[in-house]
Amino acid sequence: MNNSKDSTIKQNNGPRHWRSLGHKADTPEFRAFVEKEFPSGVDLIDDPVSRRNFMKIMSASFALAGLGVTGCRRPEHKILPFSKMPENYVHGAPQYFATSMPTRQSAVPLVVKSYDGRPIKIEGNNEFPGGNGGTDQYAQASVLSLYDPDRGLNFKLAEDGKLNVIAKGKVLEQLSGLAHGKTHVLMEQSSSPSRARLVADLKGKGVRFYEYEPIDFSVHADAASIAFGSSVKPIYKFEKAKAILSLDCDFLATEEAAFQNIRDFSAGRRVKDDHTQNPSEVMNRLYAVEGLLSLTGTNSDHRLRIPTGSIIRVAALFLKEALEVSNTQTDGFVDELKDFVGDLNEDFPNSHALEKEGKSDITKWIKECVSDLVRLSSEGKKTLVVAGYRQPKEVHLAAMAMNSLLGNVGETLLLQPIEPNGNGSIEDLASNFKKDDNLVVLGGDPAYNAPADIDWSGIIEKSNKFIRHGFYNVDGTSKKATAYIPAAHYLESWGDARTNDGVLVPVQPLIAPLFGGLTELEVLARISGADEVDPYKITRATFEGIAGEGEAKWSKFLHDGFLADSASETLIEEFDGEAAMAEWRKNAKKVKVPSRGNLEVTFYRDHSVDDGRWGNNGWLLETPNPVTRIAWDNVLLVSLKTAKDLLGEADSKKLLDFEKVDGKDFDPKNMDLPGRFGFHSESGRFYQKVFKLKVGDREIEGPIWLLPGMADDVVGVALGYGRGVGRVGGAKGPLNERTGGGGFSAFEARTTDTQHAASEAVLSDTGSKYEVACTQEQGVMDGRPVVREANADDFDSHKDFVKHFDLDSVHHTTHLVKGDDRGYPWEKDQELKLVKASDEDLPASQYRNNFGDDKVNGPKLMDVERQQWGMVIDLTTCVGCNACVVACQSENNIPIVGKHQVALGREMSWISIHRYFSGDEHNPQINYQGVSCQHCEDAPCETVCPVNATVHDEEGLNLMAYNRCVGTRYCSNNCPYKVRRFNYYDYNRRPMGVEDGERKPGRFFNDDNNLNNSPLHPSNKSSNGEWELIRWYKDPSRGSVPGLDDGKKESGEFDPEWDLIKLSKNPDVTVRMRGVMEKCTYCVQRIQSAKIDQKTKIKDSVSKLDKTAKIAALDVPDGTIIPACQQACPADGVSFGDVSDPSSEVYRLKRQNRNYSVLGFLDTRPRTTYLAKLRNPNTSMPDYFDIPNSVTEYNDKAHADIFDSKKDKTNGKEAAH
Amino acid sequence: MANSLPSSVKVSPPPIEMERPALVENNRSIGWISDTVAGVIENKTPGWWKITIGLSMLVSLGLPIGLIYLISTGVGVWGLNHPVAWGWAIVNFVWWIGIGHAGTLISAILFLLRQKWRTSINRASEAMTIFAVMCAGIFPAVHVGRIWFDWWLFPLPNANSIWPQFRSPLLWDVFAVSTYFTVSVLFWYMGLIPDLATMRDRFRKVASKVIEPAAKFRNKIAQFLYGLFSLGWTGSNRHWRNYEKAYLLLAGLSTPLVLSVHSIVSFDFAVSQLPGWHTTIFPPYFVAGAVFGGFAMVMTLMIPLVSLYKGLDEIVTVRHLEVMSKVILVTGSIVGYAYGMEFFIAYYGGNPYELYAFKNRAFGDMNWSYWWMISCNVLAPQFFWFKWCRTTPWFIWVICGFVNIGMWMERFVIVVTSLHNDFMPGNWGYYSPSWVDMMTYFGTFGFFMTLFLLFCRLLPLIAISEVKGVTPQADPHHPMGGAKH
Repeated sequence: MNNSKDSTIKQNNGPRHWRSLGHKADTPEFRAFVEKEFPSGVDLIDDPVSRRNFMKIMSASFALAGLGVTGCRRPEHKILPFSKMPENYVHGAPQYFATSMPTRQSAVPLVVKSYDGRPIKIEGNNEFPGGNGGTDQYAQASVLSLYDPDRGLNFKLAEDGKLNVIAKGKVLEQLSGLAHGKTHVLMEQSSSPSRARLVADLKGKGVRFYEYEPIDFSVHADAASIAFGSSVKPIYKFEKAKAILSLDCDFLATEEAAFQNIRDFSAGRRVKDDHTQNPSEVMNRLYAVEGLLSLTGTNSDHRLRIPTGSIIRVAALFLKEALEVSNTQTDGFVDELKDFVGDLNEDFPNSHALEKEGKSDITKWIKECVSDLVRLSSEGKKTLVVAGYRQPKEVHLAAMAMNSLLGNVGETLLLQPIEPNGNGSIEDLASNFKKDDNLVVLGGDPAYNAPADIDWSGIIEKSNKFIRHGFYNVDGTSKKATAYIPAAHYLESWGDARTNDGVLVPVQPLIAPLFGGLTELEVLARISGADEVDPYKITRATFEGIAGEGEAKWSKFLHDGFLADSASETLIEEFDGEAAMAEWRKNAKKVKVPSRGNLEVTFYRDHSVDDGRWGNNGWLLETPNPVTRIAWDNVLLVSLKTAKDLLGEADSKKLLDFEKVDGKDFDPKNMDLPGRFGFHSESGRFYQKVFKLKVGDREIEGPIWLLPGMADDVVGVALGYGRGVGRVGGAKGPLNERTGGGGFSAFEARTTDTQHAASEAVLSDTGSKYEVACTQEQGVMDGRPVVREANADDFDSHKDFVKHFDLDSVHHTTHLVKGDDRGYPWEKDQELKLVKASDEDLPASQYRNNFGDDKVNGPKLMDVERQQWGMVIDLTTCVGCNACVVACQSENNIPIVGKHQVALGREMSWISIHRYFSGDEHNPQINYQGVSCQHCEDAPCETVCPVNATVHDEEGLNLMAYNRCVGTRYCSNNCPYKVRRFNYYDYNRRPMGVEDGERKPGRFFNDDNNLNNSPLHPSNKSSNGEWELIRWYKDPSRGSVPGLDDGKKESGEFDPEWDLIKLSKNPDVTVRMRGVMEKCTYCVQRIQSAKIDQKTKIKDSVSKLDKTAKIAALDVPDGTIIPACQQACPADGVSFGDVSDPSSEVYRLKRQNRNYSVLGFLDTRPRTTYLAKLRNPNTSMPDYFDIPNSVTEYNDKAHADIFDSKKDKTNGKEAAH
Repeated sequence: MANSLPSSVKVSPPPIEMERPALVENNRSIGWISDTVAGVIENKTPGWWKITIGLSMLVSLGLPIGLIYLISTGVGVWGLNHPVAWGWAIVNFVWWIGIGHAGTLISAILFLLRQKWRTSINRASEAMTIFAVMCAGIFPAVHVGRIWFDWWLFPLPNANSIWPQFRSPLLWDVFAVSTYFTVSVLFWYMGLIPDLATMRDRFRKVASKVIEPAAKFRNKIAQFLYGLFSLGWTGSNRHWRNYEKAYLLLAGLSTPLVLSVHSIVSFDFAVSQLPGWHTTIFPPYFVAGAVFGGFAMVMTLMIPLVSLYKGLDEIVTVRHLEVMSKVILVTGSIVGYAYGMEFFIAYYGGNPYELYAFKNRAFGDMNWSYWWMISCNVLAPQFFWFKWCRTTPWFIWVICGFVNIGMWMERFVIVVTSLHNDFMPGNWGYYSPSWVDMMTYFGTFGFFMTLFLLFCRLLPLIAISEVKGVTPQADPHHPMGGAKH
């Protein structure tokens, strides 16, 4: 072994670190010394990221920081811990550091949890002004990219057209040697003031700068700047708006800083206390006009389906109506608008839902919507009109005009001055770039995502030096570079940024760059040849320029994670009608109405991979799209009508079992199978026809997917797939030849003119099929009241509606709350005394429980001496954004399983967000419901486990003892909520994207159960070609993934996969092996750690107390324990706490009228309950429904009559039966 | 035959149409019975046996391949998923366990009820029971995620003081099946002892006659082994007295097991709360189904066997087949009634989830399995209302084949269709088996057939002593030894 060690050290070209001069010399004496000194650890001495070594480095840097001693790798600077942590490092105790994740034009303020110097969990900074600690799914998953084994590990220089590993210094020489006048720098957008400073400096020296973002939100600012006559960006304040009109603006998901919008939108929608509040007065109302079915559309109260390119006509009609209502003098502009609009009703039939037979009436829809907005505005309430980034400036101008007419400017629409940065676009780069100029590309991946009509390879060919600073050295851009510089992850970087509302936030490193990558700031500083290239000092200098000098200020900035009051003051500007009108007249273009032979393609930012930047992030890839519930791939989304046109009636049935929808040959009352919107599968798998999408002369191929609610004759395509980078999501090649997921690249069909929507597209069948991994086959509730909902205007007269569904009795949902067990909560309100429940007050269960047996009254449900944990999920505020799903995955070490396993239905996520359609198959209503373990008091899973592996504790938690589980899976079968997840394979142990010893990205477990899955199979080799069984025999703890000291790739690089996987795990949570059942634990590790903290806190003060008081003192205060899902939820839709404590938030919520248990009639007594969803439709809209569609379905199915007083029994569906 | 009565005995013969056919045809002598049954072992190995066991062993290879792959790799090699966490393994388990029941019913309950016709088939059916339970036992043992911890299901004292969870039906299964297996083996072995002694004696006789050394050695070995396992049986009156008492006791012990094992297996489902599983009709319905399927399997095995071994058709006669066909008709009708009653209760119970589960069985994604089940289990046995159908061996064999398929489908319907669409539509899924599922299942077929063929070749496949006891000649008043019947 030791002999092989020698050769290993010599061969290893990775970053070398030395402990002493002796080691650096690598003398035999030194080796002998090492072997004597560390007999068992000698193999780790050359291992840059093994845990032990890592600990050594980290603790060394902690110890030495501040003493003026610099580390071996880079200067270390003291980073200040967040307020939660003790001043000194305590082994095993997590530390929290404030930082932020830079995004395109803003940043997400974060607090990152770090164990022993390893960042393992991202949380939102809830100290941030207006923040609630919520984040988006991207931020939650970003920590996994830090441990991405495919990231660039080495500095490289091209020799003979091939990038070879080279010493860092040589690459850096290249940077400083660039001739400024001949250098062009292409960057991604950034809100960093430090970068702006360096760029300005370099511009002065003649370097030219360009910015390119494939998904660019600048249109908001551009339009606002025209509309208000000065350089401003709009900031939308959704929480203040009583009504919101979205013109193709997916502000809840795919716009910048969507998580803040979710927070604000949900805040304006939340009914805090339905005993005292009337929801129809409290809730905001959302009107959405869109071509795709976006998350925003699915959460709207009224939705109009209009192709993306034609929304400008709707906007014009809106503006015209608004101008007319407000009697604004427009010199005939109204008539121009009228001409522009044309006949929407004829062009877009069936564009909104209808309660009864008839035709949709867009004109009425818009009129009523405008009159609602105007009415609110006349009542002094504020509204908001927003346009999406996909829409041209003119639509934004129309929106701004309406906001101005409605008096929203300065209220819900704030204008913040910005400085235009003057950087060029990628087209400018293409035209400016001359032969033998130098090109520097910072971030991005233009070779992949530049508009298809930009000749990127032409630019590269012309270049003299092409220096690439990027996260991956295997992406299309890096491969062509003459020098490659690995980029540091933001958790390894010093930097700064501004959030969407302009607040200055720090980017602090939680960890020294694992592979020595550089930040953008350092690269720029080196190009400029500045003396100071340390990003820490650059950032600090910028900060001092803004906030002034002083250690205290800087420390506070780092500690808090933001600089208070650093946002520029918002302005109140007059809307410049003339300029806007001129702009409209000049540029407003009408797009031909899409039709069968002239489809419109809409490109959109993906929920998982964004524009491709997260394309190798397994957590995101495996998180299903909230609307389509598809993971691992993008698809061609079409509506039902489009599918019928394309495929004919018969074949389109193979996409959706819609013959059951129309009810023609199917009586929904008697024959309810398999239900409306059941997606058609072949034996549970979705083999979709692959279609060729021809846009102009460019073609892409992708699987077709029928999504009810898409605008007709529109094809929706997600960007960001098919980048072909990495072992997780990097599958490439024709779709019909691969199964590993990763989708297809839509950038190939996207040009500078058709960045967001392209018309005159044609779809044609290629004859091949491709499997799509959809996680939800059944799209409707089918009359089952799992999501219960009401219209806000019905709620006051039917406060108890939620208790009348299904076979529930009152006790099924109110048993937890004292005083409510024998009657409706609202009847008990007056007499309810807010005291902690005593033994006698608690209802007895008819079943035996594991605890608290009382011989007289039967077993008690709760041990009142202990805190009783419970959860409430508010379906009204939940928008279905997926942040909780990724947060849970990150917190609880949930493995990714790969596309094939997802297709088989074996995804491991502990929370699944179910999406249900209801009503009209063209214009459905949508509900989301996050379901995780409900922690039933009478848990069906517990009684059937033969080995006692799942048991209850005294605090009401349904526990899983992973070590005891043998994996009979009986618990899963008996779980009515089906929230348990089973490790069908050793998901944590197997190599990522390896099959037959070859890298096949996206392949975790083979597509068919062939013997290759077995570690016994001789052809099943690790990526270094060694038979898995041999590897296992040599080192059983290693799994089958090669580590640092073996498994070298051709280039001599090591493969850090296994070590990085281990580093990324949360040490508080067991990593489950195969054959073990797992599920949501309410983040029991957080509960336990809070209890320990509480004990520590009170340890000195309780000695004098009596027993009762002592027990009371042990109670963890409400709000201290925040499970990962609640923490990440930007909508504040999840509440957790002690349900036996009448002063807790969760108790208060459980006393709400809307509180119900899913499947309450089973009397499993779940501790997680839901607050029913409320919709807030406008009664005068043509798509107003008396009662929500899902309730109609329920009424039909169950012969029930929820909301009876409003139901017209003489017509409609009742009469038919 | 009536006129062969000795004149001193005045017995008025029953009317000729009331007379039951003889259990052993052609008025065969006691010696003939011994020679015929023992001849199966003593005669040269028939060619068909060699071919069949070769095929069986080949098919049984699927079992080790499937299991090694499963154990080395994980339960994921099967077609299971979320929400269908139980699939073919459990279906096969219940199916095999059910098949076992006929043997115990024949050997224990029919013994207590003095059904003399059982004697010609009880040995083979008991062997079938044991082999079926062995096949069944494989599945619960390997279907768990961590096979190496199976022993945690047994209440073994351990340092952590963790006991199994006695409320779980899976644990009851462990006890029920292991008890059942133990008692069945004991019962079978008990019954074998007199016949083993017969074989020992016959081989001794042969061994003393043959001269060719290899044959002599073979016969010596056979003699030794049969002798070893016949535990010194001499056929003395005392032996017979003890033997018959013990046999009666074991029959009494086995009788409740016939009812309990499949009731407990049905609790795996009935105790849960899944619509389609959670019904009180399961225990009787499962027991009836087990007897139904078991008898079908007995006939599936016996009909070809009887036609292949010369002379056995005189011991296992059409009368036996007809009686068993009637049992199939009755139990098949009970099962059919249970199917109907499940639907009625689903409708009458007013639980929409339950109603859906049953509609889904009949009309949902997996309705093919339901209609296979109905056709095979309810419709196919109805042919047995007709005498020709009950008395034509090849036809019975075909129907029994359908019943075997139908009973497998029944378990599939119960296990899979209930799981794949349960309470919350968002969780619904589908199930398809993988090739490993199939290979393992068919492997158990091979395993079963191999064991059964070895049994036929090595042990008396008909209880010689018991058949002798029910022949007219066994009656001391018969001119040739005893009175009629």
